[in-house]
Amino acid sequence: MTTSHKKQSHSLLQRYFFRSVVIFLTMALNLSSASLAAQAQKTGAERRVTRRTIQNFSLIDENGARFTFDKLAGKVVVVAFAYTTCVDVCPLITAALRQTQIALTPQERTQVQLLTITTDPEIDAPKVLSAYAKRYGAEFENWALLTGDPAVLAQVWKNFGVGVKRRARGLIDHTPLTAIVDRSKAMRFAYIGPSPDPHAVLGDVRSLLKQE
Amino acid sequence: MSIERSLPIGRDGLHVLAVDGVIWVIGQLILLLIFLAGCGRNERMDLLYAERCINCHGATGRGDGPLAARLPVRPPDFRQTVERKSNNQIRRIIADGKGAMPAFEPALRAAEITDMLQMVRFLSREGRDIAWWERFDTLVVAHCNIPWETVLGYDDEPQETKP
Repeated sequence: MTTSHKKQSHSLLQRYFFRSVVIFLTMALNLSSASLAAQAQKTGAERRVTRRTIQNFSLIDENGARFTFDKLAGKVVVVAFAYTTCVDVCPLITAALRQTQIALTPQERTQVQLLTITTDPEIDAPKVLSAYAKRYGAEFENWALLTGDPAVLAQVWKNFGVGVKRRARGLIDHTPLTAIVDRSKAMRFAYIGPSPDPHAVLGDVRSLLKQE
Repeated sequence: MSIERSLPIGRDGLHVLAVDGVIWVIGQLILLLIFLAGCGRNERMDLLYAERCINCHGATGRGDGPLAARLPVRPPDFRQTVERKSNNQIRRIIADGKGAMPAFEPALRAAEITDMLQMVRFLSREGRDIAWWERFDTLVVAHCNIPWETVLGYDDEPQETKP
């Protein structure tokens, strides 16, 4: 075999090897995406691992009292974005949050705070939020529902990466985010979708509780 | 023998009677139109239902909307529940919410809630034998509760609820 033939054969081998690698990687990626999509389909929300520091904010809770995020230092916080007249994803998100609350042990309840932050301050006054939570059977010992000035809320939405767009009175398009924030105020898990699996949320909460 | 000769009112009296009669008939027709106005299902109700109700209650009110199966409690079939409820009871559920169903009073005008109520009644009748008195429900809703916004359109803004 001549040198040129050897080179040609080597180059062919290289080309086919790279092709095979590319095809294999593409297939693996497709399978992984399909698996994630299937999981999202099953749970109704896509789970993402993230690390995003959440800045302090001050809003109004369902009793009309001021609520500061800083006071939750040392707790794991589950934050859901919803609004009370939503007829789309929010009922499922709030129902999932309630399921998570039910599953927490009494000891975990002292270390885990649930928050629902409205995406519609025009409608969601404290008393409206309070009535909404009661309809879901929420217990307020570790669950607060927050509203506030639209400008302040806009900062909070941005802080969590939530997009909000008003379509009409009481009809809002928003990112269906349920976020889990660790003890050091970093968002560690993001569930994007209508129906986060309460068991998966609980698993992530418990994994963060174990971390100092 | 002509008619006017047989009547004691004469030709002029007959003309007056005829004109009065025509005016009376037109008046009755106008009253009937006013009475029936706002009682039928219209596009506004359909749009409202599509925007706010269809996801859970389904297109025909059977409680089979796309979200229904994933809710904590499945929405009812209007055919089985609405018949037993008064207009006031249905209005309160729409206004104050129930379970996972939102309270629409803070977001909607009174006339829109009336439209929703009528829509619920219309859907509850489809495919079911209705009692004779149920035929008058929409008349009652349209004329005894909030009549004129239903006829003329929404012109009153809902009360603002500032946080």
